[in-house]
Amino acid sequence: MLISMWRYLYRHFFRFWVKWIFRMVTRKCELQRICEGFVGGERTHKIENALTLSKNQVLQNATSVNRSEVEECVEDIMKEKNIKPKKDRRFKICMKACLLQISGYKQLYLDVENVRKRPYDSNNQHHEELLMKLWRLLMPNEKLKARITKQWSDIGFQGDDPKTDFRGMGLLGLVNLVYFSENYTNEAHRILSHSNHPTLGYSYAIVGINLTEMAYSLLKSDALKVHFYNSVPSSPTMEHFHQFYCYLFIEFDKFWFEEEPESIMYFNQYREKFHEKIKRLLLDYRVVLTLKI
Amino acid sequence: MGLLSILRKLKSAPDQEVRILLLGLDNAGKTTLLKQLASEDISHITPTQGFNIKSVQSQGFKLNVWDIGGQRKIRPYWRNYFENTDVLIYVIDSADRKRFEETGQELAELLDEEKLSGVPVLIFANKQDLLTAAPASEIAEGLNLHTIRDRVWQIQSCSALTSEGVQDGMNWVCKNVNAKKK
Repeated sequence: MLISMWRYLYRHFFRFWVKWIFRMVTRKCELQRICEGFVGGERTHKIENALTLSKNQVLQNATSVNRSEVEECVEDIMKEKNIKPKKDRRFKICMKACLLQISGYKQLYLDVENVRKRPYDSNNQHHEELLMKLWRLLMPNEKLKARITKQWSDIGFQGDDPKTDFRGMGLLGLVNLVYFSENYTNEAHRILSHSNHPTLGYSYAIVGINLTEMAYSLLKSDALKVHFYNSVPSSPTMEHFHQFYCYLFIEFDKFWFEEEPESIMYFNQYREKFHEKIKRLLLDYRVVLTLKI
Repeated sequence: MGLLSILRKLKSAPDQEVRILLLGLDNAGKTTLLKQLASEDISHITPTQGFNIKSVQSQGFKLNVWDIGGQRKIRPYWRNYFENTDVLIYVIDSADRKRFEETGQELAELLDEEKLSGVPVLIFANKQDLLTAAPASEIAEGLNLHTIRDRVWQIQSCSALTSEGVQDGMNWVCKNVNAKKK
């Protein structure tokens, strides 16, 4: 209660005066101070907060600017804040990079959501080809005997037709699985053979789709922001999302075998434990979660 | 009357706890049903590895609902969850006619289980929102439900997606919680 009252007062009243005093003392605006005083993801994060909380329309709109309009937007901010390019050369470069990251993250979420919303459709040739590609990548030495066959359970689908397993993750689940198998084929094969372990085994594809959900919900809740701000100097793209998914898959497999669950029936409990672990890692301002192969 | 007993009377009776088992083939809609019961978002569902459990308050009962994955590979684990079940809810994808036989067999096996003997069973003929869904009456006939004599049972058509029919089914569950035949 007290904390939320303080927050309200700070946002609407003190913040303005604190900023004013700093401005008088340092002769620089808040954005300039952040650009000078911080680096990496922390800097972008602070710039984003400052822009979101700003009462100035130009600054507020800057967080959702288009990629092509970033340059112009930085100019507008400099005009608005009366920042002379000659006096502060680095400001323009810094702001441009931050805006690309901030607006890029928002665009990435929209792109990912677009793929997720597309349900798997077995009448769509492109979808079917992707599914067949997944089989060929994971089982290069074995041919599918039919489109509908029990063989699908060899790569961890539930029944004899994978189409019903993508559910709420739609095409995104399949695209993630194919990306991992294509770009990290050795790791995918290694994990697939792990997943056939007689006591600790799990269903490879189904777990993969559950990990798509995890990556998606971390992106949606903004938990992935600092990771992308630290690891991608410009706008993050679909490729970066896939890379994070691959990181999750490899780390989850390690985690599962370290934890040695009693049986697959405890999957959801361990999934949650793993999710919490990742969320904790993402709280660090210096976080970069990339593959260690 | 002592103070203590007055206090005891003031404290309302705690809800009766009910253990409900949610079973059915994969893709029948068990997790969607569970989330619908708990009024949670149903747009990001993924296949269930293992189980989910949620507690829902309803009509003076605390319903502990166990949603167990339906994949063939984990069906052998179903029996680990039979003990002390008060009501069995069996979910069927009414539009997946190709698997009616398979789902009928699984149900018949469940009804033969000693640990589930006499346990009331509610069959949800789910996915009625789909045009191709078979009506509940057709499913009841196909599964020979009328031959069930050792317990109370009910078939309820529903759509876990739109929640139509779900509450009717749960009302039946609450009415028949204590109808377990010994």
